[in-house]
Amino acid sequence: MEPAAAVINELAVLPEKMSEFAHAVKTRSAIAQTPKECIWTLNKAKLWRYIPVVPAEKRHPVPLIMVFALMNRPYILDLRPGHSFVEFMLQNGYDLYLLDWGEPGPEDKGLKFDDYVLDYMPRAIRKMKQVSGSEEFSMLGWCIGAILATAYSALRPDDGLRNLALLTAPLDYGDKQGITFARWVDEKFFDVDKVLAAFGNMPGELIDYGARALKPVDNYVLNYLKLWDNIENPQVVEAWKAMNTWVTDNIPLAGGAFRQLIVDLYRHNRLIRNEWLLRGELVHLGRIRANLLTVIAEGDHITPPCQSRTLMEKVSSRDKELFSIPGGHIGIMAGSAAHRNTWPHIEGWLKARSK
Amino acid sequence: MAEKQSTNGKDYDPMGAFREMRDNYLDAWAKSMVETVNTDAYAKATGMLLDTYLSASSPFREAVEKSMLQTLQQLSMPSRADFVSLAERITHIELKLDDLDAGLDRIEKLLAKPIAARTATPAPARRSKRKGAK
Repeated sequence: MEPAAAVINELAVLPEKMSEFAHAVKTRSAIAQTPKECIWTLNKAKLWRYIPVVPAEKRHPVPLIMVFALMNRPYILDLRPGHSFVEFMLQNGYDLYLLDWGEPGPEDKGLKFDDYVLDYMPRAIRKMKQVSGSEEFSMLGWCIGAILATAYSALRPDDGLRNLALLTAPLDYGDKQGITFARWVDEKFFDVDKVLAAFGNMPGELIDYGARALKPVDNYVLNYLKLWDNIENPQVVEAWKAMNTWVTDNIPLAGGAFRQLIVDLYRHNRLIRNEWLLRGELVHLGRIRANLLTVIAEGDHITPPCQSRTLMEKVSSRDKELFSIPGGHIGIMAGSAAHRNTWPHIEGWLKARSK
Repeated sequence: MAEKQSTNGKDYDPMGAFREMRDNYLDAWAKSMVETVNTDAYAKATGMLLDTYLSASSPFREAVEKSMLQTLQQLSMPSRADFVSLAERITHIELKLDDLDAGLDRIEKLLAKPIAARTATPAPARRSKRKGAK
């Protein structure tokens, strides 16, 4: 085709492309489609049990509970049919549970990590044990969920936790130069009490802005260009829409927990120093004895790898593995290569320890 | 991009060169922005921006809250504080119910243990002893 004719063709399809682009950006995808039942609730939190797809005799006897971050929706773990970690684990015979924290309201502004770790988690885990009939369990924590899972494992080491898998766990805040968030929330620049006095909870929009501003061009420009360039590829558009649905579905973070995250963790690094007190109980990482898998995303700009590595030398677990994988904070679990790299590794690690 | 550049046997892509140039430029911009946001100057600027917004909006927010509270009181309607207090009380009740459920669960387990022991194949000596006792 002649260059001039090709340019004319390109211009001729422009209005159609623009219309499809606008449609993709505006519409929401059908996400979190795997069937599940709610087996426990407390305040806004819910414990979901995914309906098993493998007969009981072929299932692993140790159930798995997933704990996600407080300020994002957990359905990233079950993004869309055919590309879902939940679906993958169910097909591999796991009795699977998801602790969904829900959306905190103004009445929850006082909720702290203390409440989540010492009130919510033990109760949800008790219910999971009751339903599954197993006294032992595995726990998978992702991002802030990994902080919760780590704190729980250290405070309740005798509660039956056999396997602990942590994904992109922000536990060590010592490298202030390497962690952009740590720089932003330094007390010289950021008045956490003033923000919470104004909003009560930390608004989802501000958290979203913070996460996007770490890589502004990627998130505000390249992300949309990727869609534009692939607008004629339905698979890419579908994947983009599902991810965009999740990214734009923001929830606030309870004020008390946000303050602890900034002051206790980002500023004083109390968790990794074994100085973090939750309701008067010391979170001593040396008390963690469960088998440990720590997954690091090499290109993670939200939780740089330096935040997750240190834990390995702090725990008492004899069986521990650090698994480093190329990709970003979300990409390692929800990206197009996750089903080939991250998911099988986690599943294989758990399988060998779930007998 | 890679897909579009592999033009063997495909139509000529008139926008190819433009896209390549665009991507190179955006990559360089993206890298420089990542470095820019990870500086004290950026942290200071965003901190000041947020602080200014909070300081400027605070009097309005307080005035709106005060007038809303007065209006609700005059209309004998519950305020946000009332709802918050109610929600807290409901959560406490939920916690108590959960504790009760846990207690019942423990009792059920304790009761189930002797039943399970009895229904399991009992030792012959014990069985005769029980019969004797009856």
